[in-house]
Amino acid sequence: MRVAITSIILAITLALVFSLPALAQDSATITITMIGLNEISITLDKTEWSLGEVASNTEYETSPSIEWCTLTVQGTCNVNTFIVGDDAKWVDNPNDYKWTLSNDGSNGEHIYGLWFRISGDTEANGRGYVPITKTQSEFWPYPGGPGSSLAPGDTKQFGLRLLTPTYFYSGRQMQTQITISAAAA
Amino acid sequence: MMWRIKLLGLIAAFLVMFLPSFTVAQGFSVFPAEVKIDDLPPGQGAEFELTIRNKDEIAHNFTFTTFQPPEEERRAGRAEFPDESWVSFSPQEIEVPANSETNVAVMVAVPREGRWTDQDWEIWLGVASESTDLLAVKLYVRLLVSTSATGPNTALVGGIAAGIVLISCGAYYYFRRRTKPQRV
Repeated sequence: MRVAITSIILAITLALVFSLPALAQDSATITITMIGLNEISITLDKTEWSLGEVASNTEYETSPSIEWCTLTVQGTCNVNTFIVGDDAKWVDNPNDYKWTLSNDGSNGEHIYGLWFRISGDTEANGRGYVPITKTQSEFWPYPGGPGSSLAPGDTKQFGLRLLTPTYFYSGRQMQTQITISAAAA
Repeated sequence: MMWRIKLLGLIAAFLVMFLPSFTVAQGFSVFPAEVKIDDLPPGQGAEFELTIRNKDEIAHNFTFTTFQPPEEERRAGRAEFPDESWVSFSPQEIEVPANSETNVAVMVAVPREGRWTDQDWEIWLGVASESTDLLAVKLYVRLLVSTSATGPNTALVGGIAAGIVLISCGAYYYFRRRTKPQRV
């Protein structure tokens, strides 16, 4: 009888010894740091492109072609910027008809291409026109490129190129969106 | 020749419009640009606030999302955040009046599992103004989460297991002694 009671007391003691760190863990200090107290912000001086009616299998460029829109870094931190596109959807019934955005800037039936080019970024010293796809990719800087992160006050001018599908349904107003994003460098 | 004329007619009929008119992009900012949570024990949550500042002359609706950055964009030593559903926003979207700012709560909760101890993750929190314009802006806040080195489960389960084993041993010896035939 004495052995049993001793064993039970020992068991409870050991259980508590092992459990105490766990219980103590529930009241551990969690540190939340707002790094650098930085504010992030970028702006674009244009958000829409007046294209009007377009024909099939045709390229359209913004005017001026590569200095059409200006991205300005505001806030208080250096940023890396990114770009991503999307399918163009029929405004009247977005679920019924769309142009699929190609993943290499090419076109096809109901498939369209979108490109961007940053001013000063020529094929000789950089990328020239770059396809915009549905996967987010680097806008500026980019791997292997000459530039670095953009600092507050820095600007980048760029233009867009649209390659319409080789075939699409006529008379439908299409709408798409290109998102330019920024993260602290 | 007839086929060519027909084709030209068709192409001329293929009309499309990207929305007309030019506007200046909406200006907004997010503070802070980077948040670091250290020593988060699996099974517990942490909460902090993001401040959204609408610098525009009109009110805007802002939406909040998470994004898994590719490895080359993450901070050194940071792995992919295992599950985006562990991060939540309250509210999920919010209207911010012109020239004003508002706070949004962000909750991070890591499940109570031993495998999530001593981890360093990164995920981005996306803030975007709702818009139908061709060009839109999204701002990312880097969220760096480090979990504590010792998980509560290991110690708790170890303690309970040790307790059960010892109680069983005690009970075994107790009943063995009771059932032992007495010498006459």
